[in-house]
Amino acid sequence: MLRNPMNRTRTRRLVGLAAAATASVMLAACSGAAAGDQPAGNKDASITVAAGDITAKNFNPFSATALQPTLGVIYEPLYWYNFAKQSDPTPILATGYSWNAAGTELTIKLRHGVKWNDGQPFTAKDVAFTFNLVATTPALNPSGLAATAKATADDTAVLTFKSKSLMQEPAVLANQAIVPEHIWKDIKDPTTNLNENPVGTGPFKLKSFTPQSYVLTKNDQYWEAGKPTIKEVRYLPVQSADAASAALVAGKVDWASAYLPGIDNIMKSNKNLTYINTPAMTTVIVTCANSGLGCTGPQTDPAVRKAIYLAMNREQLAKLAGGGVAGVGSPTLLLPGRDDDWIADAGSAKLPQSADADQANKLLDAAGWTKGSDGVRTKAGKRLSLTVQTVTGWSDYILINDTLKQQLAAVGIELKPSQVSWNEWNAAQTNGKFQLSLDSVGLGASTNPYFTYNSKLATANTAPVGKSASAGNQSRFSNPTVDAALTTAAGTTDKAVQKAEYGKIQTVITDQLPYIPVYVNSMLTEFNTSRANGWPTKDNPYVLPAAWKAWDAGIVLKTITPAG
Amino acid sequence: MRYLLRKLVFYVVALWAALTLNFLIPRLMPGNPVDLMLSKLATKGPVTPTTRAAIQALLGTDADASLWEQYVKYLHQLLSGDLGTSIAYFPAPVAQVIGQTLPWTVGLIGLATVISFAVGILLGRAAGWRRGSWVDNLIPVTTMLQSVPYFWLALLLLFLLGSTWPVFPLSGGYDVYSVTPGWSLPFAQSVAYHGALPALTIVVSSIGGWMLGMRNMMVSTLSDDFVVTAEAKGLTPRRIRSRYVARNAILPSISGFAISLGFVVAGSIVTEAVFSYPGIGSALLLAVNNNDYALMQGVFLIITLAVLGANLLVDLLYGVIDPRTRARS
Amino acid sequence: MAITTEGPQTATETGSPVAATRRRVPPMTLKLGVGLSIAGLIVLFGLIGPLLVGDPSTVRDIGLTGPGNGFVLGTTQSGQDVFAQLAYATRGSLIIGVVVGAITLLLSSFFGVVGAFVGGWADEAFSLLTNIMLVIPGLPLVIVISSYVPNKSIWLVAAVLAITSWAGSARVLRGFTLSVRSRDYVLAARISGEKRWRILLVEILPNLIPLLASQVVFAVIFAILGEAGLSFLGLGASGSFTWGTMLFYAQNGLALRLGAWWWFAPPGLAIAVFGAALSLINFSIDEIINPKLRSQTRAERNKWSMSRDQRKAATEVSA
Repeated sequence: MLRNPMNRTRTRRLVGLAAAATASVMLAACSGAAAGDQPAGNKDASITVAAGDITAKNFNPFSATALQPTLGVIYEPLYWYNFAKQSDPTPILATGYSWNAAGTELTIKLRHGVKWNDGQPFTAKDVAFTFNLVATTPALNPSGLAATAKATADDTAVLTFKSKSLMQEPAVLANQAIVPEHIWKDIKDPTTNLNENPVGTGPFKLKSFTPQSYVLTKNDQYWEAGKPTIKEVRYLPVQSADAASAALVAGKVDWASAYLPGIDNIMKSNKNLTYINTPAMTTVIVTCANSGLGCTGPQTDPAVRKAIYLAMNREQLAKLAGGGVAGVGSPTLLLPGRDDDWIADAGSAKLPQSADADQANKLLDAAGWTKGSDGVRTKAGKRLSLTVQTVTGWSDYILINDTLKQQLAAVGIELKPSQVSWNEWNAAQTNGKFQLSLDSVGLGASTNPYFTYNSKLATANTAPVGKSASAGNQSRFSNPTVDAALTTAAGTTDKAVQKAEYGKIQTVITDQLPYIPVYVNSMLTEFNTSRANGWPTKDNPYVLPAAWKAWDAGIVLKTITPAG
Repeated sequence: MRYLLRKLVFYVVALWAALTLNFLIPRLMPGNPVDLMLSKLATKGPVTPTTRAAIQALLGTDADASLWEQYVKYLHQLLSGDLGTSIAYFPAPVAQVIGQTLPWTVGLIGLATVISFAVGILLGRAAGWRRGSWVDNLIPVTTMLQSVPYFWLALLLLFLLGSTWPVFPLSGGYDVYSVTPGWSLPFAQSVAYHGALPALTIVVSSIGGWMLGMRNMMVSTLSDDFVVTAEAKGLTPRRIRSRYVARNAILPSISGFAISLGFVVAGSIVTEAVFSYPGIGSALLLAVNNNDYALMQGVFLIITLAVLGANLLVDLLYGVIDPRTRARS
Repeated sequence: MAITTEGPQTATETGSPVAATRRRVPPMTLKLGVGLSIAGLIVLFGLIGPLLVGDPSTVRDIGLTGPGNGFVLGTTQSGQDVFAQLAYATRGSLIIGVVVGAITLLLSSFFGVVGAFVGGWADEAFSLLTNIMLVIPGLPLVIVISSYVPNKSIWLVAAVLAITSWAGSARVLRGFTLSVRSRDYVLAARISGEKRWRILLVEILPNLIPLLASQVVFAVIFAILGEAGLSFLGLGASGSFTWGTMLFYAQNGLALRLGAWWWFAPPGLAIAVFGAALSLINFSIDEIINPKLRSQTRAERNKWSMSRDQRKAATEVSA
């Protein structure tokens, strides 16, 4: 073994070199970083919104994968429906509308003085063009619009339907972005065109775009005077609840929609953070209830479904699974509070929050389910054992299952939760190959209960087990009273008549329970108040403030003002 | 020559097998894209019977064509460079999605792997050369770091160094507020800054393997006869260490390194999920969650080509750097 | 990725079966002792733990609480007992490790050893298959196969992990078998007319045992880490308890951000400690395969009772 006196010095020199190299790299990188922090205060009147994945530069308002601000912030509809509370439609691009007596002609009066963000004037021709384009292109027509549109004057458009189509009103008035004829008449394929430089009437227009983030800037031609006051809106993708909470606490985003467990604790970490909870969708247990259409299992027995309904301790479910922020639901599948006017029987508007095990036990005994030696009931040799499917990763629903398993065991029902991928869950539910499944209902085309009831309960929207019921009635529910009530309600605009018909539907479903409501999902939206004011608050929830909600986002962005 | 030919034939067969597997597996998944998109739409608004027809017209999935016809069409498209249209990123073409995400992954993970390899080999060389010294004690530590689940370590470091003490940025590939992508120094600095933490976690968790392998090979090579001869001849220790011992010891590690480069893309999925890094791993995850056949196939193709390429490179390189293999065949 | 630390030339230097037997059992060193005892403790915990703790799925109204109040490791956000979950998770992860180890052992020894021994077209075919399996990207394949099967159980995840990872071991074993096959005593046995299967069993396999053991240990570590990664992405056996799924739920419940270290840290540490223990065992096995590693450690040198100066001189081959 040879010895080299240079040994130790050499090592030290090498280590020193390495340290120096690392330090210089870090220095170079860090100097690049210091420049990037957001400026304090809001002198430049810009805010940052947490967005979903930026998949492509897609601002095509007809595309299902268009980026978040396309509907509402860049393009506008004729009216805006408020889902936060019952109110009349807010005029946006239209100022009035009326139906003819037969319900086949809709006349729309349009606002004056509106310009497209490229300076061209907005007229009824654009409205007519938009609806004709939709009606003649099946790929762009998810609502099945069957009408022709004409501009009878610069400010009047008339839609003529083939048959009575009163229930098409929300789709036409509030769920269709109006596009400029002078741009779209030259577009060869409106279904796949990315529309990378969107020309709309909305309060903001596109300024710059990269796959990692994009920026909108104020539309100086906007029709509403003095609005918007915010100059720039940046969209930053935030992909998980963890990333959202980190970004919020660090002050990197001003507006985010993320379900954060333990949200009160997280809000404490930054004094400028606040949040609002606007529950809007009801979590239900979808039951494959109709043995006539092929459903099998104990859940086809109405007594079992009613027993599950009664045995639920909803307060515990809301606390443990709903994070303490879930809302109280209604057996009518509507929202207590906002939908009170539509609930026929005010006395039973809200779901019972505690479990009524005695009543549940009595019901099951009366239906012939006797308690076995292992605590699980049986009837004619079959055990009262039910499978409930949930999507992997939906932790709140998984917790509902775990909690429900214990609660139902108290009345002799065995619950077997399973977790599957979204594909599998969706396929099973759509094709009826399930017993129980957790899902949510609500957020139809408008707050009129017709849309929820029609999609979930109408015989026309269901299919036998094995066939796809993609129209919405996965429970295979079929009841002639309900169908008749739906048809009557669809044929009138008289709210009193509609309420009476919905009352009939509500009587049936609170007894039959094809969808067993649990609670109303929280919808948490977090705000940073140091850079903008005027966000929706608990006392003034003027919109459904989810950052992803089409249409409402535009209202929020033109209402808020820069702070400081 | 025969050796080369046999190798090439093997790679062609392997490529065909991988492509076929690529084609089959996504199609075996349950659910079809039309149902998927319908259900995703249902959460945002009303869905009616005509919606299905609309979406089917949109996605143009020819579920009626037989599997064989689809296969032939798929091969044909591949040869003409058409990787199809992505559904998750609809309507962007798959080639565009891959083109926009691949550089980030190759840059970050590739660079981190190279650094990890270089540092690991150097440390391993030192540990093997001075066997029994303090450097040897690093080995159990680095090996323990290799047993720590990567994402757990990454999450912990992200939390500590990103939130608790904000030394590093929380997410993203570069600072979207102040720089735009382009060949500029600020952009390069920003990329380096955002890539530092993910690279650090990769280096920390994988350095153990390289170090261990190199050290073990050094130790065994050191006792070979030719080293004794070299020492007896009076060559300087430095020369012996680098020209004689390390050169031979590094051979298995080089083949391992080339192979791991091929798997850079596959290994990036978890890293990009934790750090919200805009690379090809995130694209693959999005594709799987959205049942996006075309994008999945495209990403698999890239990974397969990379791995095959790396293996081919190793096989050829080995013939060059290790004359014994040439002599043997 | 399994890294071979050494070529196959040294393990059979003496060649005689008696010496081989003696060397098959590793000498007890500190490393081996520590590794075996830690791994043994964890296995014991996984076997007996679930019998001693309560039901890991019971939800309680107390919600997220730290250690105390009868809960050794606190509770999750729905009041579930973390310690009980850890016990069941240990069992789940160990099952995956064992299944993957067993399947890897079977597949890699069949395709690697038998193929190399038999030679001819069988060897070519097996080698081709092995190389193809090596080339096909593992993790993406696992992801896609996992998402194909609806209700994932632990057994399925283990099977999928094993199928995508046996190829590396097979290649290593094949290389080793090829070299052993050409040794004098094997040739001698063949010439003297011994049956092929007997040669395989008596002459070749004993030399392979340390390598096989090392590969199995690698496979187990890989399986546990792989399952953890899959579960983190949401593609694992989320209906069962494993270390990976515990981490998945902890991450979803924002455990780290809410400061609930008792939920986030134990599963990760369990994986790390078990992996480290297995690695220590692997080191000891390495020292059998490559005796040179054994003779040059600090511990060994200390036994020579050299003075400090002598030791320093011996260590500094310098540079």
